[in-house]
Amino acid sequence: MQTEIVPPTVDGADVEIKLDARRVNFFYGDFQALHDASLAVQARKITALIGPSGCGKTTFLRIFNRMHDLTPGTRATGEVLLDGHNVLSPDTDVINLRRQVGMLFQRANPFPKSIYDNVAYGPHILGWSKPQIDEIVEESLKDTGLWDEVKDRLRRSALNLSGGQQQRLCLARALAVKPEVILMDEPASALDPIATLRIEELMQELKKRYTIVIVTHNMQQSARVSDFTAFMLMNERRAGEVIEFGPTDDIFNRPKDSRTEDYITGRFG
Amino acid sequence: MATTRTLFDQELAELKSGVVRMGSMVEQAIAESMRALVDRNNVLAKEVIARDQEVNELHRQLRERAFMIMATQQPVARDLRLIVSFQHMVLELERMGDHAVGIARAALRLNDLPQLKPYIDLPKMAEITESQVHEILGAVIEADQDRARAIAERDDEVDALYHKIWDELVGFMVQDPANVQRAAILLFLAKDLERIADRVTNIAEDVVFLHTGRIVELS
Repeated sequence: MQTEIVPPTVDGADVEIKLDARRVNFFYGDFQALHDASLAVQARKITALIGPSGCGKTTFLRIFNRMHDLTPGTRATGEVLLDGHNVLSPDTDVINLRRQVGMLFQRANPFPKSIYDNVAYGPHILGWSKPQIDEIVEESLKDTGLWDEVKDRLRRSALNLSGGQQQRLCLARALAVKPEVILMDEPASALDPIATLRIEELMQELKKRYTIVIVTHNMQQSARVSDFTAFMLMNERRAGEVIEFGPTDDIFNRPKDSRTEDYITGRFG
Repeated sequence: MATTRTLFDQELAELKSGVVRMGSMVEQAIAESMRALVDRNNVLAKEVIARDQEVNELHRQLRERAFMIMATQQPVARDLRLIVSFQHMVLELERMGDHAVGIARAALRLNDLPQLKPYIDLPKMAEITESQVHEILGAVIEADQDRARAIAERDDEVDALYHKIWDELVGFMVQDPANVQRAAILLFLAKDLERIADRVTNIAEDVVFLHTGRIVELS
C-alpha cells in the first residue's frame, strides 16, 4: 500500500516503499506543527526534506522513529508505515523501532566513553556476545571509513576525535545495531567542507544497503546527495505541509509548484 | 512572494539585456551585409566586417558575466536554465555575426565582378532570415515558447529557397565555366543565410528549454 504521493522510480526498477507516512498531523499541546504530511520513502534511496526554518522538517523526521515520545505534551495522528506496520500504533515496540530506524543528529553526540564502547553500546544492550560485538564494531567503523583512523586507539576517549570523526562515529554507533532506515537531521551542518563531503560520500555508499532520510538546510547538499526531495512549508496556521515531492532532478530543475521554485531559487521571503 | 535576491535579479536582467543588445547588433550586420551585396556597396561591406570585433567582444563579456553569476550565485531551476540558455544563445549569435561577415566578404568579391544575374531569391531568403532573427529576439525578451516554435517553423521556407538558389546557380555553372567563380561565391553566401536560419532554430530551442526545462529538437 502506498500513499498518493508515490515517488517514481529513479532507474525504472520496481518501487519498494520502506517508510510510508500518510496524512500525519502532529501537535505540541494545542499547537499543530504538521498538517496532513504524506511521504512515501523508497527503500535504499536517499530522500531529503527541505524547507525554511520552522516548516516541520525535523518534527516530521523525528516521528519516523517516535522520538517525539520523549517530548511531553506531544501527539501524532495518521500513519507511518514501516514495512506495512504503523509505528504510531500503541503496540509498537519503540526500542526495537529505534534499532530499525537509527538517527544521526545535527551535532555529533558521542558518549563520554571510549571509541570502542560508543559503537559497542547498542549491541551490548541487545545482549550480543563479545566476539559478535568485536566483529560489529570493526565492521561499523569500516563502513564509516573510520577504522583505519582509529583502529590503534579504540580504547581512547571518543571526545578526542575531530568533529567530522565524531559524527562518523555516531553513524557507526547507529549502524552497529543493524538498522534498516537511517534518519539524518542536518548531519553536516556543524562540519567543515571536507568533513561534509566525507559524510556525503558515505551516504552514497550506505544507500546501497540502507534507506536514508535527511533533513538539510543546504539545498546544494540536497541536490547533490538525494534521489528524492520533499519541499515543506508552513501553511497560514503555521503548520508544516509537504508542498511538493518528487525526484530531486525534477524538484531542482523543473519544480511544479511556484512556491518550490521560489524557495530553491532563493526568492522566498 | 517578495523577492529576496534583488542583486541577483538585477544581474540576470543585465545579462538578458546584453543578449538582446548582441542580437540587435547581429541583426543589423546581416541586413547591412545583404545591402552591401544588393547595392554593390563595398564601404558598407567593410564596415560590417570591422564591426564584428564589437560583437565578438560583447560575446566575451557576456560569457564572462554568465560564468561569474553561476560561480557566485549558484543558480538552480529557472535561473540556471536562463543562464545556460543565454550562454548558448550568445554563442549562436556570435556565429551569426560570422555568417554576416561571410556575406560581406562575398559581397566584396562579387561587387568587383559583373553581376551574374539579378538578385531575386537571395534578398527574399535574407528578408525571411532577418525577420526570424528579429522575431526570435522578441521571443527571448518575452520568454514566449509558442512564438519561438512558430519562428522555427519558418526554417522550411528558408531551406526551400536555398535549394532553389542552389539548383539555379549549379545551372549557371553547367551553362558556362565563366560563371563558376561568381556562382560558387553566391552559393557560399546562400549557405551563410541558410545557417543563420538554422541558428535561429537553435535559439528557439533554447527559449523552449527556458520555459519548460525540456531539451527539444525543433528542426
